[in-house]
Parts: sequence; C-alpha cells; structure tokens
Amino acid sequence: MAQTLSAAGKPRAGPRFRLDLMPYLFILPAVLIYVVFNLGPVLASFFFSFFKWDLLAPTTEFAGLDHYTFILNDNRFLNALGHNFIFLGLAVVIPVSMGLFLAVFIYEIRRGRVVFRAALFLPAIFSGVVIAYVWKWIYHSFAGVLNAVLEAIGLGAFTQLWLGDHNLALYSTFVAYTWASFGYSMVIFLAGLQDISTDIFDAARVDGANFWQKIFYITIPCLYDVFTFVITLRIFTAMGIFGVVYILTGGGPFYSSDVIDIYVFRMIGNFEMGWATAAASVNAVIVVILTTGFIKFREWRSWSS
Amino acid sequence: MEFLGKSTQRRLRSTPFYLVLSFATVVTLVPIVWVFASALKSNKEIRENPLALPAEWRFQNYIDAWFGASFDEYFFNSIFITVASVAIVLFLSSLAAYAFAKMRFPGNQMIFFVFLVGMAFPLSAKLGPLLSLMYELNLANSRFGLILVYVAGSLPFAILMLRAFFQGFPQELEDSAALDGCSRFQFYWRILLPLSKPSLMALGIFVFMGTWNEFFQALLLINEDSKRTLPLGLTAFQDEYFTDFALSFAGINITAVPVIIVYIMFQRNLIEGITVGSLK
Repeated sequence: MAQTLSAAGKPRAGPRFRLDLMPYLFILPAVLIYVVFNLGPVLASFFFSFFKWDLLAPTTEFAGLDHYTFILNDNRFLNALGHNFIFLGLAVVIPVSMGLFLAVFIYEIRRGRVVFRAALFLPAIFSGVVIAYVWKWIYHSFAGVLNAVLEAIGLGAFTQLWLGDHNLALYSTFVAYTWASFGYSMVIFLAGLQDISTDIFDAARVDGANFWQKIFYITIPCLYDVFTFVITLRIFTAMGIFGVVYILTGGGPFYSSDVIDIYVFRMIGNFEMGWATAAASVNAVIVVILTTGFIKFREWRSWSS
Repeated sequence: MEFLGKSTQRRLRSTPFYLVLSFATVVTLVPIVWVFASALKSNKEIRENPLALPAEWRFQNYIDAWFGASFDEYFFNSIFITVASVAIVLFLSSLAAYAFAKMRFPGNQMIFFVFLVGMAFPLSAKLGPLLSLMYELNLANSRFGLILVYVAGSLPFAILMLRAFFQGFPQELEDSAALDGCSRFQFYWRILLPLSKPSLMALGIFVFMGTWNEFFQALLLINEDSKRTLPLGLTAFQDEYFTDFALSFAGINITAVPVIIVYIMFQRNLIEGITVGSLK
C-alpha cells in the first residue's frame, strides 16, 4: 500500500508540516481532465435533473421531482427500462455460459489454443456500428444470409422479418450483442483457468472425476471471483446498450426494442434535458445498485461459506 | 483403451473439444466471411443468390464506396483522434499512477477513489451536461473536444491498471536511483516507463480499440461531416447507400479492416490488456 512507502525513499527532510507538492503535480493534469469531462458532467446530470432547463442550458429554477414524476409515469420509459432488464437477464446467462464452455474447451486442448482463442474473440474487436451493420444484412428480408440459409435447408417456413417483427426485434438485437460479447467472457475465463493450479485438475483426474464433475466441482468454484467480474461487466453492457440497438432497429418497430440509452438520446435530441438527465440518473442509480449490490453479495457469500 | 498409446488416448479424449470449437469458430466467422464475399458481388448476384460466392471479384465496389462518402476524411479523423487520445492517456495515467502507487501525500487514497467512482456509472449518466459543456466551451463539433472526452473516459481504468502494476516495482530501484541523484520525474521517465513497456503496450492497444470504436459520444458531439470518425461516417454512408447492396457491404469492410489488421498484429497485447484489468 502506498502509505508504507516514503517518497522516493529519501529520509524525510524538514519539519513535518512541509507539504511535498510534487505528487500533486503528477496527478494534476489527469485530475483536471477527468473532473471536467467525466465526473463533473455525471454529478451535474444528477444535480440539474432537479432543475428546469432552457434548451441546452440548466436554469436556476427548481423543478423538484417533476422530471422524475414525468418519466416514471411515462410508459415509454418503463417500456425501455423493461427491455434493458430482459437484456440483462439474457446477458448474464447466455454470453457468460458460452464464454465459460468455450474457455474450458480451449483449456482442455493442447494444440491450436491461440488460434481458437483469436478466432472466437474476433467479433468482440468491432465497433457496435460494424456489428450492427453486419447483422442488419444477416437479418435482411431477402438478401440476408439467415433467411437464405433457412430456405436452403428446407426450413423456408421459419423465415422471418427479424428486425421488423415487434415480437422478435429485441431478441434479434440480443443475438448480435451476444455474437460480439461472448468472446470477452471467454478470454477472461481462459486467463482465470490458466491461473488455477494444474495440481487440482491432476488430482481430480486421478480420483476419476469426469468432465462435468470437474466443471462443477473445480472449475466453477475456482473461478468464483472471475465470475463476479464477468457478470458485473455484463450488467454494465446490458444496462448501457446503445450502438447495436440504435442502428439495428432504432428502438423500433413501435418502441418494441427501445432501451434506456436510446430513450435518453432521443430526449436530448428533443432538447428535453430535464427528462433526459432524470432518465439517465435513474438508470445510473439502478446500475450502481445492481453492480455494487452484486459484488457485495458475492463477497459476503464467499466470506460466509 | 490400454492397448492405445498415451498420446493417441489424449488425442481421442480431446477430439470432441476440437469438434465443438471448430463448429463454434465456423458459426462465429461465417457472418464476417459472408460480408467480405458479398462486397465482391454485384447487386444482382446479392439479390438473387445471397449464399453464392462472387462470380467474379468486383473490387470496383470498394472504389465506389470509398468515393461514395468521405472515407478518407473519416479515416484521417479516426487515426488522429485515436492516436492523440492513446498518447495522452498513456502519459497522464502513468504520471498519476506513479504518484498513487509510490508517493506519500495527503489525499492519495481519497483522490484515487474519486477516479474509481467514475467507472461505476454508465455512459449516459454524463451525456446531457457534457453536451452543454462542450457547446459552452466551443468544443462541440471539434476533434480536439472529442479527444478530451475520450481521454477523460479512459483515465480511470488506465490509472487503476498502471497503479497496480507500479506497486509491484521494488522500492530499492527507486531508492538507488535517488541516491544517484535521479529526480522523481527522471526516475519516472528514464526508468519506470521503459521498464513498463509491456504494460503500456497492453493498455495502449486496449484504449486504442475502445477509442477507435466509440460511437455514442461521437454521435452526440459531432454533426459536421468533415469531422466524423469512421463508425460515425459509416452510419452516414449506410443511410445513403443501404439500398445499394454491394456498396453497403464494401463500406462495412472498409471500416472493419483496419481493426482486423491491428488485432492480428497486437492480439496478445489486447487480450492481456483485457485480462490483466479483470483478474486483479
């Protein structure tokens, strides 16, 4: 820890109250940029969500809870928030378990680890914009590969308007999200697996444990902290999903795939900054409660067991 | 199975893993291969047989797409903004991380914690006031403004990662440098940074990817065509050419190829950047 180290190892010169300014010079530029362009706007967003806005500028006129009352009674806000929760529920299960199993499989093989890891991670390197346009074409009604493949294998009856059907649009965007995110979970799980002592696996094999027993009794418990991290990351991305959905469906058709960040973006575009900041603040509070709550719960559980 | 050699047994045991991994890899890569193949076809081919390979390779699609929008400007903007952001993030975060890791001063823990707080909120939590601020400072619609926003966004993670790394440096190193008359900045510049090259590389590639791909804030802050980054430019291009199938595919690839090249070159650094931060 930092406080056990004396600065540059020099014997402390002069009386105690002489403040060493050097450390502050080292952190100052970073602090300035971070506070002005990141933390400041976050705090301002919370603060000014209780004030009236004049187009882009906050005013001194207090609005109380007006903006919050509005958005919490706005069906479109609740609808979008609900979609984020559906996304969240799917995201902590599907890409995470895909990542886990692929990581275990890569860990089990000897040759080609690097190649499989690199290839399976590839979609995760792209911008949400590229991901969205790739999938926009995959889902295209007649020129898209998905419907074409279904036709080709005799499942023509299952062709769909993947993005145009209000029952499907949200799940279609989720598939694109999954394609681009299981790789993240995979490389993190793989790094975690490589940290586990091989003695444990050797001992399990000597004891005759099969593949599934090894997964459930060794791999998953040993990756406890890695799971916490991977799932926290999914909470973040699912509650903050924007680019992929924005381009694939724009939240439509008829708001059937709308999410909070698109709602906020739309409100900003309409110069409804009071509602935008209130909606963003509600989402931020939910994210902070979910992530810190989840991490605390995991710490408590690992401590109590 | 005793009659089989040990290596044969092992190979048999891992066959199912290879099968599953190969299947997953094919499914994962098919969309990318298909987009690349389609970009070489004519509109008629795409419409009539989306699954067929290109009859002849029409590289003309790329040329038409390139000149169909200001991709040269988008490229320049993306390179400029990303390289500047990465350089600034590496410099400022390593300076600050050195102070947090190795120096003793009132407020060390607290200021570091303030940086961590910034990582707890989703992006949308700052967007409204950020937009007002950028207009107020005349930094909206400016590449320089976007660089500042990206740097501010990357600093918390960068400082967290480098601080952990610097804490692992032996104190003796700094002590002996100090005995030789090395100032703290000299120690940082001449000894700490060169010794941290692998970490800086991993962090740099990670920040590079994130900045190069960023879309939400660019969409909000940039509305002049000549200042668009590639992801933003691609959306403008697609708005205009989505009905021109072949050009649309080519446009996607123009945006995707640079990232693929960087990934092939720095794959290990990137994955290290992701996992080092996560396994702390």
